[in-house]
Amino acid sequence: MDATGIPLNWFLILSACLFVIGLAGVLIKRNAIVVLMSIELMLNAANINLVAFSVYNNDPTGQVLALFSIGLAAAEVAIGLAILLNLNRLRDTVDLNDLTILRW
Amino acid sequence: MVEFTAIVPEIILVLFAMALPALGYATKNSKILAGFGLAGVVLSAVFTFMMANDLSVAYEFGNGLIRVDQFAILFMFIFLAVAGYVILASAVYVKDDKHQPEFFSLIMLATVGMMIVASSTDLFALFLGIELTSLASYVLVGFRKKDVKGAEAATKYFIIGGLSSGFSLFGISLVYGITHTTSFAGINTYLSWSVPLANPELLWLAMIMVVVGFGFKISMVPFHMWAPDVYEGAPTTITAMLAAGSKKMGFVAMFKFFLIGLIAIKADWQLLVGIMAIVTMTWGNIVAIQQTNIKRMLAYSSIAQAGYILMAIPVATEYALAGGLFQILTHAFMKGGAFLIVATLATVAIGETIKDYKGLAKRSPFMAFAMMIFLLSLAGIPPLAGFWSKFVLFSAPIDAAATAGAEWMTWLALAAIINSAISLFYYVRVIKYMYVDEGECKDKLKLPWSMVAAVAICLVAVIGIGLWPDPFIEYLKQAAHSFFVLY
Repeated sequence: MDATGIPLNWFLILSACLFVIGLAGVLIKRNAIVVLMSIELMLNAANINLVAFSVYNNDPTGQVLALFSIGLAAAEVAIGLAILLNLNRLRDTVDLNDLTILRW
Repeated sequence: MVEFTAIVPEIILVLFAMALPALGYATKNSKILAGFGLAGVVLSAVFTFMMANDLSVAYEFGNGLIRVDQFAILFMFIFLAVAGYVILASAVYVKDDKHQPEFFSLIMLATVGMMIVASSTDLFALFLGIELTSLASYVLVGFRKKDVKGAEAATKYFIIGGLSSGFSLFGISLVYGITHTTSFAGINTYLSWSVPLANPELLWLAMIMVVVGFGFKISMVPFHMWAPDVYEGAPTTITAMLAAGSKKMGFVAMFKFFLIGLIAIKADWQLLVGIMAIVTMTWGNIVAIQQTNIKRMLAYSSIAQAGYILMAIPVATEYALAGGLFQILTHAFMKGGAFLIVATLATVAIGETIKDYKGLAKRSPFMAFAMMIFLLSLAGIPPLAGFWSKFVLFSAPIDAAATAGAEWMTWLALAAIINSAISLFYYVRVIKYMYVDEGECKDKLKLPWSMVAAVAICLVAVIGIGLWPDPFIEYLKQAAHSFFVLY
């Protein structure tokens, strides 16, 4: 345990919960925007892990990695929203169940 | 003084990619834009070649995050070749579309991502490379903004891609937590010194997360459902890039993660990955039989090929890795070439269902011949390139099965051979349509020369590797050797 006084396990439990909530969102929700938000939750869960491990391992690498992954998540949202916006213009929906042109 | 030599090829590509949109203000001629992009790719290849000539120097960048060795060089050449023929073919394919400069620019940025993955020695550098490629290819898939299919494919690709990066990032964070490092060599050192681990379950969880993340990228069953949809909806030259380039990047990631990072605990994952390989190849081939759209058929055949390449991981010998690399090399040309033919024919209004290819041999003998060569090579008919790569790849598990405890690997080879026989059925069906059946229209086709040239490059590669496989096998063995020795 270090100066923060919070055991590492708590961080891991938090991040695991966030990850599972995100994953459930991706699998259950049918609105593409909500799915996008759920994906962000999954990425943020990983960030919490990285920072927590970084502090408890006394190794700054993890925090640098978390910064990179935050930047990456921002880029991903930008592209994702653009794609969904275009979909909404063409099809007037962002419901994933309506995406049925391509299937076998 | 930071030494930039190791990433000069990437820097050149980025500079050209950044200059392209600026050039777009001066000209709207897609041929000039493509020519400029192609110049960047060629220049980058020249610098890669200069590094390849003198590998006694260690080309490193960023504290060894990026290191160029023979293995990396091989993949940089494959990716540059793919970028080259995709840009060449796209010059005509997108001539009526808006935003052409960005199109070529994004192809080059995707290639940069792939090259970073090829030369990364660190899980996180590798992850960033994968993401760079993914972000560029999401946009490329949805490039035709008015195309309903393209928009749907882009949405699916983006959501699956985001899910996959969520999984891999979480897995990577766990690996970092367990081993205190993200470099492959460091992970290996940690694992080989601290077996048995205090908490093996956590490592298992991390491993499964990373496998799921990368599994989406290489379209491993059961994470493959996006591939046919995206391959069908994307502009076809981009489909060629996805199948020949970005999927191969996923394999590089898998090779590095398993064969360097986790090699110390290989007994734990060998059987699992072996079963995944068999399931992937079988499922891909069985579903490919039922397809009526040629892009979907090739997509499922791509999934089956992913299963073959995956075999190299559980076998985990130098020879097997050489086989996997060989299959990746030949697949980049034969599958890419096949998709380029579909793209070329689309420019003269030939549809995407297999029936549209009836009587093609009379209308365009060259295209029909090239398609036949690519399909036969995919099926593994001698003396084409696909035969030799399959030969090396399939003989590796039998070789390895001689050692104690690895007898089950014979089944890998057996499954792969049976699958090759199944795949012959749907490949030959296309050839029959092209050569035996009569089409409704018999006019000769007038095809754009740059696309024919791109197909011809792939054709020369497939036949050339098929006729002179020895130097390639020799080189690939060295690359596989350097892969295992250097780390």
